[in-house]
Amino acid sequence: MKGITQVVAVELKLIIRDPMSAFFALAFPTIMIWVKLRSGKPLPGGLPSVDANVPMLSIFVIGLATLVILPATLAQYRERRVLKRLLATPASPGMLFGAQWIAHMLMALLGTALLIAIGAIGYDLSAPANPGIVVLAWVLGALSLSGIGFLLGAVVPSGRTATVLGLSVFFPMVFISGAVIPRESMSGSMRAIGDMLPMAPAVQTIRNGWEGHAASPVAMLVMVGICLVTAGVAVKAFRW
Amino acid sequence: MTVIEIEGMSKSYKGRHVLTDVSLQVEQGEIFGIAGPNGAGKTTTVECMSGLRERDGGVLRVLGLDPQRDRRELLPRIGVQLQEAALPDALKVGEALKMYASFYDKPADWRKLMDEWGLADRQRSSFASLSGGWKQRLFIALALVGNPEVVFLDELTTGLDPSARRMTWGLVREVRDRGVTVVLVTHFMDEAQALCDRMAIIDQGRVITHGTPGELITQGRTESLEDAYFALTGGQAA
Repeated sequence: MKGITQVVAVELKLIIRDPMSAFFALAFPTIMIWVKLRSGKPLPGGLPSVDANVPMLSIFVIGLATLVILPATLAQYRERRVLKRLLATPASPGMLFGAQWIAHMLMALLGTALLIAIGAIGYDLSAPANPGIVVLAWVLGALSLSGIGFLLGAVVPSGRTATVLGLSVFFPMVFISGAVIPRESMSGSMRAIGDMLPMAPAVQTIRNGWEGHAASPVAMLVMVGICLVTAGVAVKAFRW
Repeated sequence: MTVIEIEGMSKSYKGRHVLTDVSLQVEQGEIFGIAGPNGAGKTTTVECMSGLRERDGGVLRVLGLDPQRDRRELLPRIGVQLQEAALPDALKVGEALKMYASFYDKPADWRKLMDEWGLADRQRSSFASLSGGWKQRLFIALALVGNPEVVFLDELTTGLDPSARRMTWGLVREVRDRGVTVVLVTHFMDEAQALCDRMAIIDQGRVITHGTPGELITQGRTESLEDAYFALTGGQAA
């Protein structure tokens, strides 16, 4: 893994220097949580809104990093032949993609930390009942959504196309998988559709962990499965 | 010593023959030019040599290695500058050199390289802010960061203004003077004449002639390399 710290550091700097991705990853969720917690009303069922929104929106942040920003970065690198130039160095492809992934995950982690800090300081966020499950859900959610993001980024020819495609996967997904609107506020039919989307198991598992409900092993296996299948196809289909 | 040996190399994409029969030898320490019309197969030839594409047939050895089979051993020993390749806009000059150096086991000292190529003043400049000539200067430095024995330069001066082109020629000679073998793809006959020790002209996927620029002029029975090029490729002189 020669050079991985270098590439991670460079990619992080590039993400931060790009105002669009920095805004999307950090400012956008901050605004979202403020908008959603303004009324202060608890959710149907009595759960304080903040205890649902912080874990939900952390999946939203993961989705942004993996489904929108990661594929756009890869596609732009393809479009501008950055990837081709890297292919002509001894750097291993595994290292390069690993570094990309780590950099985008660090950004999602920063977004999540920001959400937790705002929730804790401003809105009396409860500590997660089962921190182990919360962390596991975050990681598995990140892996499964990264797989999808890599698949998009593996083949899309240009950065613009990738952004459009990424956003058109991301927005419907966050809205009906319960990452923006709490599941208990959605109609039954919407929830049923949302449950078929790959973001749903991540949202459900992280919320269960936070609230202390039992987490579903099936949901976790589904996330592992999504990750393996999409990453496998991405590696096969990847165009430099 | 022969550094690159190609015999009867062929390559097609989706049934279209791009290379039909490319044969040439590049000797150590020379600037070897590859010229020819657009679509003649110059870039494909160089991409096969630098391990970026797989040839369909023929023999190809670079530093005694097969770029397909021995890619991992070859890549640390060569440097490339690709046609129309770019770096991320916000990447700074120093960061690019430092990152590329980290890919090699025995890299050149990137700070020293930055000084030698006059890039030190621009260490903190972003790639997007560099002019064409400075971008090419950076690409040459990146091609050299792994201490290569051979560098491939593909249309290094296309799109540069005349003074930046002249400056870049000086840089290419400097690379050779350090003992690095240079393979230079170019459209410009004045450039080939000024820089190349020997060259090949590729047309429709085959090498139609090779030699020193002087030999090509004699062969074409013309006064300049450009006229010889048109005579040999059967193209129209303006």
